[in-house]
Amino acid sequence: MKRYGEHRIPGRLFIVEGIDGSGKSTQLMLLHQWLKAEGYGVVFSEWNSSPLVKDTTKRGKKKQLLTPATFSLIHATDFSDRTEHNIIPLLKAGAVVLCDRYIFTAFARDASRGMDAVWLRELYAFAVKPTIAFYFRVPLEVAMKRINDARAGFKFYEAGMDLGLSEDPDESFRLFQGRILEEYDKMIPEFGLTVIDATLPIEAQQQQMRSLVLAKLTQARQLRVAP
Amino acid sequence: MKETYGVRLPGLRLDDLVGKLIVIEGTDGVGRSTQIHLLKEWLEQQGHAVLDTGLSRSGLVGKSIRRAKEGHTLGRITLSLFYTTDFADRLENQIVPALRAGFVVLTDRYIYSLMARAMVRGLDPAWVRNIHRFALKPDAVFYLRASLEELIPRAVFTRGFDYWESGMDLYSTEDMYDSFRRYQTALLEQFDQLAEEFHFRVIDAKPDPQVIFEQLREGILRVLVAPEGVKTEEAKAATVALTGTATEAPKLELPLVAVVEPGEQASDRAGDSVVDRRKKAQSPAP
Repeated sequence: MKRYGEHRIPGRLFIVEGIDGSGKSTQLMLLHQWLKAEGYGVVFSEWNSSPLVKDTTKRGKKKQLLTPATFSLIHATDFSDRTEHNIIPLLKAGAVVLCDRYIFTAFARDASRGMDAVWLRELYAFAVKPTIAFYFRVPLEVAMKRINDARAGFKFYEAGMDLGLSEDPDESFRLFQGRILEEYDKMIPEFGLTVIDATLPIEAQQQQMRSLVLAKLTQARQLRVAP
Repeated sequence: MKETYGVRLPGLRLDDLVGKLIVIEGTDGVGRSTQIHLLKEWLEQQGHAVLDTGLSRSGLVGKSIRRAKEGHTLGRITLSLFYTTDFADRLENQIVPALRAGFVVLTDRYIYSLMARAMVRGLDPAWVRNIHRFALKPDAVFYLRASLEELIPRAVFTRGFDYWESGMDLYSTEDMYDSFRRYQTALLEQFDQLAEEFHFRVIDAKPDPQVIFEQLREGILRVLVAPEGVKTEEAKAATVALTGTATEAPKLELPLVAVVEPGEQASDRAGDSVVDRRKKAQSPAP
């Protein structure tokens, strides 16, 4: 079992992190389009784990069976399945792999639920270290406005309703995501996250992302597939 | 008062767990379930309320694990974490509530089996120990030990060789007998090491079940009559095993070595020595 930072595989792994409403998924989609157009062998690694793990996670969430501990462990199981069956084989094959959310989501979210921070880092020690981990930093109010404009209401676990912070989903979301933002801020120096100001125009953020990604790809020409 | 192996789960109170947690460990086919059946009956006759539980019996993931094993689709880290999730669910929803209500909890295997299996499958021993640190320290661990030569006829004449108990996911052989030998040998080695580290009470599983039962009964009686606050020698010893007070005890690894890459700036953070040790310990990639 290789630990974080010990994998030596030819591919490149770019991941995006940030709270809901930070715009990270949009940015990753734009990056994906560009890499494809540039002729790279690029794969978007979805959170589609083995049906079994997924079924368990879904059932646990639907029936609200999950405690902070089992919430954390079932997501780690899910992530492990993706790592073993998807991310590592793809990187070994030399692909450019893109992930929307990574272990930092689990660290922020589970620590906000009271799980031990050191234990969490150990739990995910099998993860591959990303080539670049982008963190889209956005003030809470901006994120909440974006989400409210896009859809109605927050989901139970997304708003941290299992923590009993507030009866009101909006207030609970605010409190819970506020904690998550604090956790992210602590991780910037710890893991060397690359911070992108997510209040900037979409084009400007994408420009930054592309130039940083390009710098990591020029050392890896062999990754290019025929245009 | 009950303790964990160093990691506290949020919302899990330990101060009012008045019951006793008794673990029966051992490799496959050693007769654990027979003994648990006998012990439960005996304890209930003595007036103790008993909860018996065992691996993959959680409401959350138990069924999924059994289904996954039918399809043999999970990777080794994933399977290991699946079992740990199952264990966490049972700890929070069965074991802890029963201990709070004053039950004697008899558990057929515990984290030690999970650790042994994971290590036989090549997972990092420190990682395997660390992720199970939220487990409660049992009041006693009884390890039913049988040699490979005793285990083989039991497998042959009872259930036959099982795919998982033969470690067929591990070795590229069609031969279940060979695989069973290799796998169970490796497991026994791990168990022997864990027995020392966690101070199991080792019971020879060779004799008549009645003889084993009497030994277990005697050991359990000693746990049950131990006055609160006064720890038995076993309990003291088990406490030492994972809390790092003993010299040999594994230490909780420091946070991930995320920011340091070979050749990158060597900062003076405390984590660096760990990085270096890991780098040295790491065997060359095949």
